Amino acid sequence: MKRGMSLAIFIFAATILVVAAGTIWPNASAISYAGGRKGGALGSTSTPQSAVEELGALLKLRATAKAYESLANKAEFAEPEFERDLAGSGLSLRTYATLDSFEVQPLHQSDSDAELLMKMRWSSVVGTFDDTRDLHAIKSGDRWVVQWPLKHQARVPPQVIPVNYLRWDVINRGPGDDWGTQDVEAPHVRIVDMHPVNRAEGVVVMGELLNEDVMPAFVSVRATLVSKDGSVLDSEGAFDMISQTLLPKQVTPFIIHFPGIPLSKVTSIRMDPLSVLVSASADPVVEIENQQYNSGHGAAATGQLTNQSGHAVNVAHVLSTFYDKNGQVVWVAGQYVDRALQPQTPVDFRVPVPQDLADKISAERTIVATYIQGNIQ
Amino acid sequence: MSAPTLAPERPVPMSFIIMAAVAIHLPLLLMQLPLKSYDTNFHIFFASHYVHHWFDPWNPKWFAGFSQTTYPPLPQQWTALLSYIFGLNMAYMAVQFVGIVLLAVGVYRFSELWVSPRAASYAALASVFLGSESFLVYSAGQLSTTLAAPIYLNALPYFYRWLRSGSWRSFLKASILLVTAAAAHHATLLFGSAFFALPVCALVVMDARSSEDPEKTSVAALLIRLVSLALVAGAAIAVVLLPFWIGLIHNPVTQTPIPHPSRANFLLSPEWGVNYFVVPYGALILAVPFIVMRGSSVVRLRPLMIGFWAAFLVGLGGTTPVAHLLLGRAFDVLTFERFSYWATLLCLPILGSIIATLVDRFRLKALIPIAGLAAATCALAVSWSTFRPADASNFSVDSVALWLNRDGHDQYRYITLGFGNKLSRLAIQTNANSVDGESNSSRALPELTEFGGAALTSSKYFGKPGLDSLRAMLNHADRYGLKFVIVRDPYYAPLLYFAGWRQVDALDDRTVTIWSKDGVPPATPMNASDRPTHMQGILWGTLPVGFSLLAILVVFLPEEKLRNGWATEQPYLYYDLVAGGATS
Repeated sequence: MKRGMSLAIFIFAATILVVAAGTIWPNASAISYAGGRKGGALGSTSTPQSAVEELGALLKLRATAKAYESLANKAEFAEPEFERDLAGSGLSLRTYATLDSFEVQPLHQSDSDAELLMKMRWSSVVGTFDDTRDLHAIKSGDRWVVQWPLKHQARVPPQVIPVNYLRWDVINRGPGDDWGTQDVEAPHVRIVDMHPVNRAEGVVVMGELLNEDVMPAFVSVRATLVSKDGSVLDSEGAFDMISQTLLPKQVTPFIIHFPGIPLSKVTSIRMDPLSVLVSASADPVVEIENQQYNSGHGAAATGQLTNQSGHAVNVAHVLSTFYDKNGQVVWVAGQYVDRALQPQTPVDFRVPVPQDLADKISAERTIVATYIQGNIQ
Repeated sequence: MSAPTLAPERPVPMSFIIMAAVAIHLPLLLMQLPLKSYDTNFHIFFASHYVHHWFDPWNPKWFAGFSQTTYPPLPQQWTALLSYIFGLNMAYMAVQFVGIVLLAVGVYRFSELWVSPRAASYAALASVFLGSESFLVYSAGQLSTTLAAPIYLNALPYFYRWLRSGSWRSFLKASILLVTAAAAHHATLLFGSAFFALPVCALVVMDARSSEDPEKTSVAALLIRLVSLALVAGAAIAVVLLPFWIGLIHNPVTQTPIPHPSRANFLLSPEWGVNYFVVPYGALILAVPFIVMRGSSVVRLRPLMIGFWAAFLVGLGGTTPVAHLLLGRAFDVLTFERFSYWATLLCLPILGSIIATLVDRFRLKALIPIAGLAAATCALAVSWSTFRPADASNFSVDSVALWLNRDGHDQYRYITLGFGNKLSRLAIQTNANSVDGESNSSRALPELTEFGGAALTSSKYFGKPGLDSLRAMLNHADRYGLKFVIVRDPYYAPLLYFAGWRQVDALDDRTVTIWSKDGVPPATPMNASDRPTHMQGILWGTLPVGFSLLAILVVFLPEEKLRNGWATEQPYLYYDLVAGGATS
């Protein structure tokens, strides 16, 4: 009996110990499900960094109400404003984005306050986007609390905007009205530039495609790499690195990646542009302002997008083509804008360029593809 | 307080226990409650393939073609057989019901090895109310696990008897039942050997060394019997599941692990603690300290208690480092709700013994709260599929299936987005093939295996890995003849739009939209190298079901009573009293 009780006590003690160990030093899965909390601290805020990490964990778990309650400056704004700051106003990439990861960098700390940088990487349906915030943490008793730097959204006063745009409709498309079974000739499109380069990750094929026709075209490009013996090495499409809907005489850049295939293995490249007739309109008009290229550290094309139409653009995709001094395409890059483009409200964009190409670039051209919910044809 | 009685009382009749199982679970199964669970439709999908192609396990409907030999077939094959009478849905319920009844019988027979028949009967009755069983049946839909475990429990008494007495009938029955359990779910046998069989082996050694053992079995004899059974059963399992092993060797599990919340730390993530600990254990949580105390106090119960403790710790997933240390890389592949299920099964004999003691001492004062707690445990686990449904909305896929089946749309492959577990239901109803699917271990396409997402239809729930997998698949649509994406969640619309897909149709009041890509060639057969040979198909279609039929026949062979002269009731009464005092 005595041995039995000793065994029972051992089992209780060992269970408590392993549970404590699993909580203090959680494994990767446990950390992930706990919103990134490391070290098993159940909401510990004993240092400025741990306070920001706790806030990040709450955001990762989409516990926005708890995150708001934890803020030092919550009296300055309401919870819906905090939510709008994170999720954006109106449907956008931010609306359903989840916080994939975050990093906290301490910048300065005294006994009573601290400055920290929080780099958040959000995951959206079209990819990840970054959001960096400068946070101020203050000591409150024996714990630290974070002041959230709310970004106030600009509000445009009510006004009437005249809308005047070209529009092309397609009628009687064909039997069954099914896509791709059209009985009409496809719009004429042409690859006006094509340029393969060898990158560390593999071959990259880039170029530009022109809609030569007088009607809009829905386009895509596929490249097939052929080896010396005539066999196909790989075949890939531009996916979202192309603007699919081209109005008459419009040009779109494209870039196609072939990871793992060196250019030395490639003898020829077969390009297959595809176009079909499509209904389209010039609306919405998105103006690109203050466009410039910075070739220094963190080379990028930057500027502002302004939606000139009367309704919000939910998602905008900025595609930039970079040229060398001879006018040849050097690189094509893109960036999704994480916030909706509200009418007449400028939104910054930044399209990064690989640093090794930065000095070769002498000009750039940017276009914008847009998605409006419920406006899909 | 009334004085404890030493008079042995009669066990709860098995007929009553089975009636309790019928009364509680049959109505729920007739209501087809498991259809709301995560995996039920997946099992029915597999069964539907066996209905049409019994001897050809190659199924072209998922993953551009995959072999159903990647998953042990017995429950689905029985569902397919019974579907000729009941239809697929009710056949599934019938097989599941058999599993529930077999569990009560198996728990009784397994418990009889450890405790008195009366305590065993309480354990069997408790199995009917077990939260983990209801959780797996109604929320998780783990037909294979909940069918294999009862078969395994029913095999263990024969295993014990073979080791003790060398009865060749027991050897035959144990072997055939073990093979049948493996044909239902291989993991149950693999891990069950550690959690269930090792305690039984220890019990055999303890009983053999007991002074009351009239046979005085030597350790050498025990070892020879153990090895012979392991060899024969192992060889039979190797043959019966041969196509499975061939497939595993051909395509070892190398895919990026898919996150599963049963691997969370339940203290750091209490919402998952409720799901994977509170609901499966229910009121058993209150009994765990007493189970440990009773299991430690009674020498004969110690192996069982240690088996329970090990399964309990592993079932806690990432709450402790135990599972990770024991399983290594397998930690990131396995899910842990089944370990909690096994832990609850292992503790039932001890629980039965505690209940017997409490009822002896306190009669109705004990019986009423115990019954109430059991009922509450079962109710919580059954209703959990309503509180935390696998799919928030129930919807019909009929219109989508009709669309895919007409106008040659089934010449191309498709994927769904936002369909949840209706993915399997749609696959049953349509002739068209998909590159997506729900059987993670059956996947071979790199777009699915390299990222750490599960089914594409639910990719947003897997964050960046899930969406990366979806993007890779959409990018390679041409390779697979993937022309249609059927969307029930507008979340995905921006990706499709920017990736060059166009909406071509809308169904069900525009709640479902169909997107298409131009220039995609019609689908062609793929993954031909993974296709099982004709002989493998014959083996797969005959041996698992054949062994299950054999098992049904051999268990009716007469057998001497399990409890011989060397096992008396006296030790139970003594220890029930001693530990019962501590319990009360």
